[in-house]
Amino acid sequence: MSMPLLHLDQVTIRFGGLTAVGEVDLTIGANELVGLIGPNGAGKTTVFNLITGVYQPTSGAITFNGQTTSQLKPYQLTKLGIARTFQNIRLFASLSVFDNVRAAVQVHRDHGIRNALWRGQAFRDGEAAVEKQVMELLEIFDLGQFRDEEAKSLPYGNQRRLEIVRALATKPKLLLLDEPAAGMNPTEKAELTKLIRFIKDKFQIAVLLVEHDMQVVMGICERIAVLDYGVKIAEGTPTEVRANPKVIEAYLGE
Amino acid sequence: MNSGAKRWLLLAIVVAFVTSCFSASFNRYYLGVAIDVGISTIMAVSLNLINGHTGQFSLGHAGFMAVGGFTAARLTLTLSSSAPPDSAQGIALFVVAMLFGGLTAAITGLAVGLPSLRLRGDYLAIVTLGFGEIIRVVFQTSETFGAATGLTGIPKQTTLFWAMSVAAVTVYVVACLVNSTYGRGFIAVHDDEVAASAMGISPTRYKVTAFVIGAFFAGVAGALYAHHKQVLKPDGFDFMKSIDYVVMVILGGMGRTAGVIIAAVLLTVLPEFLRGFAEYRMIIYSLLIIALMLLRPQGLFAFQKKSQTRS
Ligand SMILES: Nc1ncnc2c1ncn2[C@@H]1O[C@H](COP(=O)(O)OP(=O)(O)OP(=O)(O)O)[C@@H](O)[C@H]1O
Ligand SMILES: [Mg+2]
Repeated sequence: MSMPLLHLDQVTIRFGGLTAVGEVDLTIGANELVGLIGPNGAGKTTVFNLITGVYQPTSGAITFNGQTTSQLKPYQLTKLGIARTFQNIRLFASLSVFDNVRAAVQVHRDHGIRNALWRGQAFRDGEAAVEKQVMELLEIFDLGQFRDEEAKSLPYGNQRRLEIVRALATKPKLLLLDEPAAGMNPTEKAELTKLIRFIKDKFQIAVLLVEHDMQVVMGICERIAVLDYGVKIAEGTPTEVRANPKVIEAYLGE
Repeated sequence: MNSGAKRWLLLAIVVAFVTSCFSASFNRYYLGVAIDVGISTIMAVSLNLINGHTGQFSLGHAGFMAVGGFTAARLTLTLSSSAPPDSAQGIALFVVAMLFGGLTAAITGLAVGLPSLRLRGDYLAIVTLGFGEIIRVVFQTSETFGAATGLTGIPKQTTLFWAMSVAAVTVYVVACLVNSTYGRGFIAVHDDEVAASAMGISPTRYKVTAFVIGAFFAGVAGALYAHHKQVLKPDGFDFMKSIDYVVMVILGGMGRTAGVIIAAVLLTVLPEFLRGFAEYRMIIYSLLIIALMLLRPQGLFAFQKKSQTRS
């Protein structure tokens, strides 16, 4: 592997006396699909929050695309190419489906205020381009027909997918998905599995997937890292991980 | 809306101009109320950008109005003290004074907003509350601004034309800002700061932008007010005045421009007409607010939830 896209080097974060994540090493290459699993409270979401700059590590370092991410704010990391979804859906509740994606599209645009106030040709061209981009994304994910509906009025599975679309609208190099299959029925899960693989290939991005549903994880991940009590206890291919006694113990002892 | 917005603004200004041409024949009292309505609209619509669209809670809008009013009036008085300007010069000076008032208020807004908007939660409410009180005391004790008596003899420059036109510009600016791809960021910040941040939107930047633009228009409204009433007293810009505008935004339905304009008009006009029942005025006024609250609870309690239709 050439230069990894994301590299966590001995990353630790403590909340008071609790070591939520302890000395975790993790490397993700461009266009790799990696799973991050572990029992409840193992620290998976915390790893996401560390990667996206919501938390700063107590010790250790994170590099993204060769650049150290310490001190960068979440919105700056998004500009660099890290996007995420949330374990408990966080769509913009008062915005339409279309506008949820539109809000995310503006990351890579400038002259916002001036154009918005002047409303000249540049503004109209810009807004037309945005609309095209948003609709293309929505259509890919079959959400086009809901464009004017309130995001929160969508059925649960579609809300999850809209969150993924919104994240993709920021043009990420790395997409972090936090339990995207949670609350989905088996059909939706099967579709989601296909969708994640499709996203990885179509957008040529890396995906880090946190998921409790083993069928989903084992089915699509090329490599899986396992956390337990904040510590990485195993890493390998799905077959290796499944056979690892430490992993079995961690899950049985849950 | 696109260029339709610009046409709308032009039309509004033309209407303001034509109406203003006939204003000599209007009842002076009603004319005064109409100008008050324009000023309230500017205040409420600009506060709506901060408290409604962006979901912050500023309690110091009257403070920015005071900053704009006092600095603009001071400028006018100083520049016209030696030789009274002719009418064209007077108007030019007035325009400069309005912009000056807006800018000083905007700079003050930046100084107040930058430290407090970085923090989450209700810090802004507390800080702006304190700011409103402090700024009043500053003007009360400053000789430059006439101390407790305030400024008097400010030339009457605010006409119906200026009040209506600036109100139209305020509505245009706020509506155009919010109704753009860029502007969806304000509402995204309102809905969920964590998610907005994860989408590449800097919450602090948007909040400060909203706050500074809001303060600018409050400052311009202060300048209009100063050149309308011709006297400016620090007492007039107390906490209750800020609350008036907060109530207009809440009754209008946080983040809904049209509703906020209606609320600004109603809450400016009604107290005037209830003046005849002076002793009952406050009672009627409160009952009215309660009735409105009951009839439009979504307007009152829409801090978090709100439908997506906005204008
Ligand atoms: N901000 C915080 N302050 C204190 N403790 C925290 C904080 N964030 C997470 N924790 C703790 O860190 C541990 C790991 O939490 P985390 O949410 O990362 O687990 P998880 O693996 O995502 O679990 P789940 O599968 O339930 O989502 C938990 O014990 C949690 O209580
Ligand atoms: Mg979690």
